[in-house]
Amino acid sequence: MSPQTDDVALSTTAERKVVVQSAGAQPGKDWVIVTRGLKREYDMGGEIVRALQGVDLAIRKNEYVAIMGPSGSGKSTLMNLIGCLDTPNGGEYWLSGQLVSTMKDDELARVRNKEIGFVFQTFNLLPRASALHNVELPLVYAGVGSAERKERAMEALTKVQLADRASHRPNELSGGQRQRVAIARALVNRPAILLADEPTGNLDSTTSEEIMRVFENLASTGQTVIMVTHEPDIAAHARRVVVLRDGKIASDERNQKVTSSLGL
Amino acid sequence: MKFFARVSMALEGVTIAFEAIRGNKVRAALTISGVAVGVFVVVTMAAAVHGIRESFQKDLDEFGATTFQINRRDPGNNQCNSPDDPCPDRKNPPVSLDELHAIQNLPEVAYAVARIGNQGTMIYRDHQLKSVGFDAYTSDWIRTDRADISPGRSFTESEDQSAAPLIIVNDTLKSQLFGDSDPLGKEITLEGKPFTVIGVFHTKAGFLKTLNGTGPDNPRAIIPMMTAWRHLSVYKRGISVAVMPQPSVTRDDAMDAVTALLRSRRGIKPGANNSFYLVGEDRIMDIFNQFFGAIFLVGITLSGVGLLVGGVGVVAIMMISVTERTREIGVRKALGATSAIILWQFLVEAATLTTLGAAIGLVIGAVLSWLVKIYTPIPASIPPEAVLVALVAAAGTGILFGMMPAARAARMDPVESLRHE
Repeated sequence: MSPQTDDVALSTTAERKVVVQSAGAQPGKDWVIVTRGLKREYDMGGEIVRALQGVDLAIRKNEYVAIMGPSGSGKSTLMNLIGCLDTPNGGEYWLSGQLVSTMKDDELARVRNKEIGFVFQTFNLLPRASALHNVELPLVYAGVGSAERKERAMEALTKVQLADRASHRPNELSGGQRQRVAIARALVNRPAILLADEPTGNLDSTTSEEIMRVFENLASTGQTVIMVTHEPDIAAHARRVVVLRDGKIASDERNQKVTSSLGL
Repeated sequence: MKFFARVSMALEGVTIAFEAIRGNKVRAALTISGVAVGVFVVVTMAAAVHGIRESFQKDLDEFGATTFQINRRDPGNNQCNSPDDPCPDRKNPPVSLDELHAIQNLPEVAYAVARIGNQGTMIYRDHQLKSVGFDAYTSDWIRTDRADISPGRSFTESEDQSAAPLIIVNDTLKSQLFGDSDPLGKEITLEGKPFTVIGVFHTKAGFLKTLNGTGPDNPRAIIPMMTAWRHLSVYKRGISVAVMPQPSVTRDDAMDAVTALLRSRRGIKPGANNSFYLVGEDRIMDIFNQFFGAIFLVGITLSGVGLLVGGVGVVAIMMISVTERTREIGVRKALGATSAIILWQFLVEAATLTTLGAAIGLVIGAVLSWLVKIYTPIPASIPPEAVLVALVAAAGTGILFGMMPAARAARMDPVESLRHE
């Protein structure tokens, strides 16, 4: 057991059980994410695919969680739901005390803007915009004025040590730098959660380590981080690992136990 | 969404549009050219009509804003040529000399100038000019804005009354007959009758004068009315009278006085139509507008077709653009862009494309109008409001035709579009 897991907030299994079982009730303030019986089904040409079959998940503020699972386990579906990009067919989803599972598209867009910072596997920076402008984008949609926008975007770039690359376009940056710009963009609106989808999937191992250190830093300064990955050594950086299998949570435990149960 | 954020996004849309144009030059050029052609056609046309109209207005101002004309026939409806034509104007009597004098003596009238136009052969020594246009005026013509004599003088009322054989030539006629020598006092023959030159007048340029051959480039002369009346064979039924009201009298009051006078002299019963026409500047302008309105309609139709072609191009280029940028749309949505914002962004982009087309069309139109002005008698000039209308119409076209691709972008599912390769 490493000492770092003890000095940060980490919910216990018992606490989570209480929260996920009180259906319909607004969770307490420090619960960033609570899902209760979350379901998502797809109609694939008449055949119903049950991607998520009742997921109960509770994540407290400041937690650093990895969501793992083999392909087809429903982890992408869960990420899309947590990221408010998709709406469930059943169950509840509370994000920062708001019931988002019943929200309309435009409300979801506002929640995404305010509460969630996305980091994608393929970075997804706008190719023709400078690093600074990419980082500014969430603030544009939040209706922040130009001067404040620039200031905050520079601040976020400074946090990822890229202040000197502000005017560069993505194709003038290395993969690691691009992902750091994406992280700056995710953080610029001070979201409740940083949601990373295979953040190192397109990076070599050295650069991956560099990105994981950035996440480590953010987590230790109080940022809630949720990371979806199928790579155990990346998941190993998180303090809590949720494993999905066949659209259900197979395990949800502290880091070390999970890694050993996977036989690593 | 706060206002400034919307503006800032609109500006971003304009920037993106220019980037998209740079990225796909050929495709953008094709789209833009449709709009550009439409705009350039209508702008050039508008410039021509506008220029002609302005110049015509100057001709009319020379005629005088309160001046009106007494005509036998309706000047706007002159197709009384066929003998079968039931043309009531044909029966109208001309203004008689007695009527002219009565009009001149009305208290509302400052002066009234009668005119008969004709053309004839003029000879000075061995110089002979055929079909030279001349106007026979009563002596008060010197009081109109048209009069501008130097050197020399006009004829007096008594010279007119006594049918004195006097003639005033314009600059062109003077140089064609006399070259550089002094024309005053020289004798020329008009239709076989001797006339003494007493002055040289200067015709001001005007578009209509250029068209109907009475401009400064054509030889022309003025003689006293009674001289023409008694000694030359002129079409006396073609007499027209220009009436200038007293400065304190409005044109309508003067027109009423003339109407009452002519009706009572001619014994026209109440309720019966006038057997004459009073034509003011506004009526002449009406006739002009009728004529050029038709031309303008053609221009509007042509530019409409151009905008339509441009609009269809906008749909095509924007559809491709939306498909190519599916992932970008997904990213923007993930970062918090609502459907309305995405819609707005693509509408701004479409409007930028078409407005750029309009701007290019305006530049081409301006160059062409300038060339028309230099190389043709048409005094083309672009009306400022046409610039505004062209830009607004083009932006409107962009928004209208951009609606379909923009709506498609706005409707995209964020999960699907993020997965798009």
